[in-house]
Amino acid sequence: MMENAWIIPLFPLVSFFILLVVGKRMKEASAYVGMAATLLSFIGAVAVFAERLNEPTYQVKQVWFTIGNMNITAGFEINPLNALMLVVVSLVSFLVHMYSKGYMHGDERFSVFYAYLGLFTFAMLGLVISANLLQTYIFWELVGLGSFLLIGFYFYKEEAKAAAKKAFIMTRIGDVGLLIGMILLFWQTGSFQYDDIFAAVKAGSVSETMITLSAILIFIGAVGKSGQFPLHTWLPDAMEGPTPVSALIHAATMVAAGVYLVASLFPLYEASEPAMLTVAVVGGFTAIFAASIGLVQTDIKRVLAYSTVSQLGYMMLALGSGGYVAGIFHLTTHAFFKALLFLAAGSVIHAVHTQDIEKMGGLWRKMPLTAPLFLIGTLAISGVPLLSGFFSKDEILVAAWTNGHVILFWLAVVAAFFTAFYMFRLFFLVFGGDMRGDAHDVHESPTVMTMPMIVLGVLAVVAGYINTPWFGTFLGDFLTGETNVHEEAPAWIMVVATAVSLAGIFLAWLMYGKKSLSRDWLSSRAPLTYNVLFNKYYVDEFYTITVGYATKVLSLFLQYVDRFIVEGLAGLIASLTKAIGTLGSRWQNGQVQMYGAAMFIGLTILVVILAFTGGYL
Amino acid sequence: MSWDTLMQYKWGVMTPEFIVLGVATALSLIDLLMPNEKSRRPLGLFAIAGVIVAIVSLIGLLSVDTTSILYDTFRLDAFGKAFKLLLLTGAALVLLLAMDYQPKEGMKYQGEFYYLFLTALLGAMIMTSSGDLITLFVGLELLSISSYILAGLRKAHRLSNESALKYVINGGISTAITLFGMSYVFGLTGSTNLKQMAVQLSMLQDSGHQYVLALAFLMLFVGLSFKLASVPFHMWAPDVYQGAPTPATAFLSVVSKTAGFVIVLRLFITLFAAALSQGKEPSSMLLSMQDYIAFLAGATMIIGNTVALKQRNVKRLFAYSSIAHAGYLLVGFAAMSWVMIDSMWFYLAAYLLMNLGAFAILQIVTDEAGSEDISQFAGLYRRQPLLAVMMGIFVLSLAGIPGTAGFIGKVHIFLGAFATEPAHYVLAAIMIATTIVSYVYYFGLFTQIFFRPAAHHEPVKVPLGVTIVIVVCALGTIAFGIMPSLAYNFLDQFQHFGDFLR
Repeated sequence: MMENAWIIPLFPLVSFFILLVVGKRMKEASAYVGMAATLLSFIGAVAVFAERLNEPTYQVKQVWFTIGNMNITAGFEINPLNALMLVVVSLVSFLVHMYSKGYMHGDERFSVFYAYLGLFTFAMLGLVISANLLQTYIFWELVGLGSFLLIGFYFYKEEAKAAAKKAFIMTRIGDVGLLIGMILLFWQTGSFQYDDIFAAVKAGSVSETMITLSAILIFIGAVGKSGQFPLHTWLPDAMEGPTPVSALIHAATMVAAGVYLVASLFPLYEASEPAMLTVAVVGGFTAIFAASIGLVQTDIKRVLAYSTVSQLGYMMLALGSGGYVAGIFHLTTHAFFKALLFLAAGSVIHAVHTQDIEKMGGLWRKMPLTAPLFLIGTLAISGVPLLSGFFSKDEILVAAWTNGHVILFWLAVVAAFFTAFYMFRLFFLVFGGDMRGDAHDVHESPTVMTMPMIVLGVLAVVAGYINTPWFGTFLGDFLTGETNVHEEAPAWIMVVATAVSLAGIFLAWLMYGKKSLSRDWLSSRAPLTYNVLFNKYYVDEFYTITVGYATKVLSLFLQYVDRFIVEGLAGLIASLTKAIGTLGSRWQNGQVQMYGAAMFIGLTILVVILAFTGGYL
Repeated sequence: MSWDTLMQYKWGVMTPEFIVLGVATALSLIDLLMPNEKSRRPLGLFAIAGVIVAIVSLIGLLSVDTTSILYDTFRLDAFGKAFKLLLLTGAALVLLLAMDYQPKEGMKYQGEFYYLFLTALLGAMIMTSSGDLITLFVGLELLSISSYILAGLRKAHRLSNESALKYVINGGISTAITLFGMSYVFGLTGSTNLKQMAVQLSMLQDSGHQYVLALAFLMLFVGLSFKLASVPFHMWAPDVYQGAPTPATAFLSVVSKTAGFVIVLRLFITLFAAALSQGKEPSSMLLSMQDYIAFLAGATMIIGNTVALKQRNVKRLFAYSSIAHAGYLLVGFAAMSWVMIDSMWFYLAAYLLMNLGAFAILQIVTDEAGSEDISQFAGLYRRQPLLAVMMGIFVLSLAGIPGTAGFIGKVHIFLGAFATEPAHYVLAAIMIATTIVSYVYYFGLFTQIFFRPAAHHEPVKVPLGVTIVIVVCALGTIAFGIMPSLAYNFLDQFQHFGDFLR
């Protein structure tokens, strides 16, 4: 199967074309075309993955075109990372295709939605099997296009249109870095091919400065795509797209492409200390930055969006700390539990028709499947022991600690606390208490929507066991080709991680779940000592006043940094561009003498320069 | 010159030119003798047939060795062959558009359009192949004067008249400046033959003379930048593009611009590459003037792309977009890498396909609506999904998104800017930055097509000729984007145009 792996991305492309031509007539039957295509891709991906388990990396390359004496190649490669990504992407994509059949039911552009999904899936699958940077870049832009079309799917909403445009242009800014970095590498090594680049780096034929420069430029591309600070602002806005899209593109696959890119080029990054540090610092900062903003959001999808940004920051931190396996491990588990959370959130939105968590509540009983599944996702992302997120997050913390990034390590620990807190705040507000909005006729979503969630729910629980310090590091062995790559880490890290996660959950419970619970608890357990009561109360108050207040201030502050400094800077550049445009069109006054004069002035300037420089610059 | 000497020349190498000339003459006679009320459409078919025969004959000439006839005034070299192919292909596509062009008040002077178009094409072809300043200039003027009339062919339309008048005035200024520059070079060398001039210039030691040559360089470049629509001679473009009949606009933005780059390459490489300059270390005049061109290229990209942001009229938008593309092409020229001509040829080919495709759709959409406002594109996806996807392909290619010919073209020029020593970082950076700016207006158009509701849902009528143009351009855009080796294998036979001075 490996030699035919190129066919995997083509199924969704075929689906795209079919739906483009006959979609209008097929109406909602379009869903089956899309599902069949992605199912075929998934089966192919599993076959490729199974084959790669026992065989060496497979690569095909052919000369694509020649510029002068430089050969530009095209081809594909099945290495462990690519094989894993194929499975993850095709699986999530299939599940989202299935889910959307229920979610998008009744939309008049149903078939268009599936056509776009097909285009995106094609591009994403193509991206993860590319064997060279140029091809990666091509698919990289194509997934961006797919994302653009899908964010703007509800084009009658002004915000959706703005968000689509913003996403496209913001990520494009990052892509410029990628493009320049890529061309620098090509210039230095004479090839876009990953293995050639690594060979050149290893042989020392590229200067250290050049490695660092190109690695950082390429990282800028990853920053844009993966919503890392300071190019993250498009990702929360992208939540204007339909929720299945948020699950597929803006949680599980496309936004992880930045992490994938850094992982693909890992040998390049390893060769440069400063580049690694940059990746780690940007990742670590983003992790805590986004998590703290997540604390005060009231839109269910925005909370999840900031959480995605923060989790992607974790992955970057892992990679930057040399934790190759940890980063990819978290990418995999995150794909499952975050897709689950988004799909469950979509199920909630589908039922209550609002995204404002202040207008939700009391859904635990009304949504008997969605609620526990959401809880599983929440537990997994919070890093509660024995669920998938626990193991992968632990790996990352270990990587940061053993690499000596003490500050980043503690930042990550605090971010883990925040994560547990805001996720359970979300959970309690949506599912606990009583309904605060006006949606009383709430039903569980249809089976076609809950089925994919159940599959993801199972994965969110068990996916962690592919790489644990207790049962074996299968994933690590597979990815690195060595056995038992888990570094011996101090056991207290796991304890700390568990403690902060539980503390976060506990605090969230005190603040958002306690209202009814604590009163019961107080009245039934009267014999407890005053001191304990006091202390409980004290902890609550203490958290509310100090930690709660401080984080609120911090997150407000960061939100303002975000709004005024980051966006302000972007605004400044935009208005400068506009100003030049306005100036230019003002000169364009329609008077022909002006046009001639412009030419003479231009010529005069050139001649004057010539006169002053004496003929050579 | 006796009849015998005349017959010694290998006239065969001029077959494509003779065909175009013959068809143009025949068309003008037929148009004169045809009754007024008869439709002129068959004349268009005749013109297209002529151009296609010319293409076929040119393909037949591809294997012919570099030949020059008429005392080196006409050269058939690799450069001429490759660029003539572009000009002829572009012309055939524009003629197809012209046949289906139906402005509100009707197209009264269709016959005139066809033969003036062919004479303009003939001028461009002569420029491509000329080895002498005189023929070069005659070709240039033949192209220009025909285009002035083409721009004003909608006689009853106020904007079209304005367009033609502005074009003539600016064209006059440009010609004057160009001629002035040429006279300096002539004065320094005493010859109009490009090869002899090059030899003379390469022996120019006196620093005063070199200074005059540098002045001539600037004047020639500024004068010719009129044809490229690049800074500082770009301002006519939006007004002229807006007013001219749409096929004429398509002609100006593609064929005429290609011809402009042809003359710039031909003239500057021949004359200035071997000329010495007065730098501290003696070097080629072309290389020492490189920074001026780089400066103008940068300014062209910045002005074209930023002012485009403000446009609501699609034809003006495409005018600025074409200015911006001239800027990208000039980056290729300014970098002066050894793949310069290849990369510019490829870019021009890609630009021809994507821009003509876009113009084809623009023409039917604006004709039908009777307005050129960008909002006429709103909801095109709802009205005619396939047409919208085609337009999407062209816009993506113009923006330089991977998978399209426009991307490969840009990458090639970009790589060229890095292939020289020292690399042109600043120029490359401006190219990238302005490309991002261009996304804003290209995606504005994209948003209109895909994300705006349509005012009404009647599908757009697409006539056969326009359909052919759209399909050919879309296939080409995608094919060159995915398999650029198609074009590069074709270029391989020219071996980087080394026979320029032979």
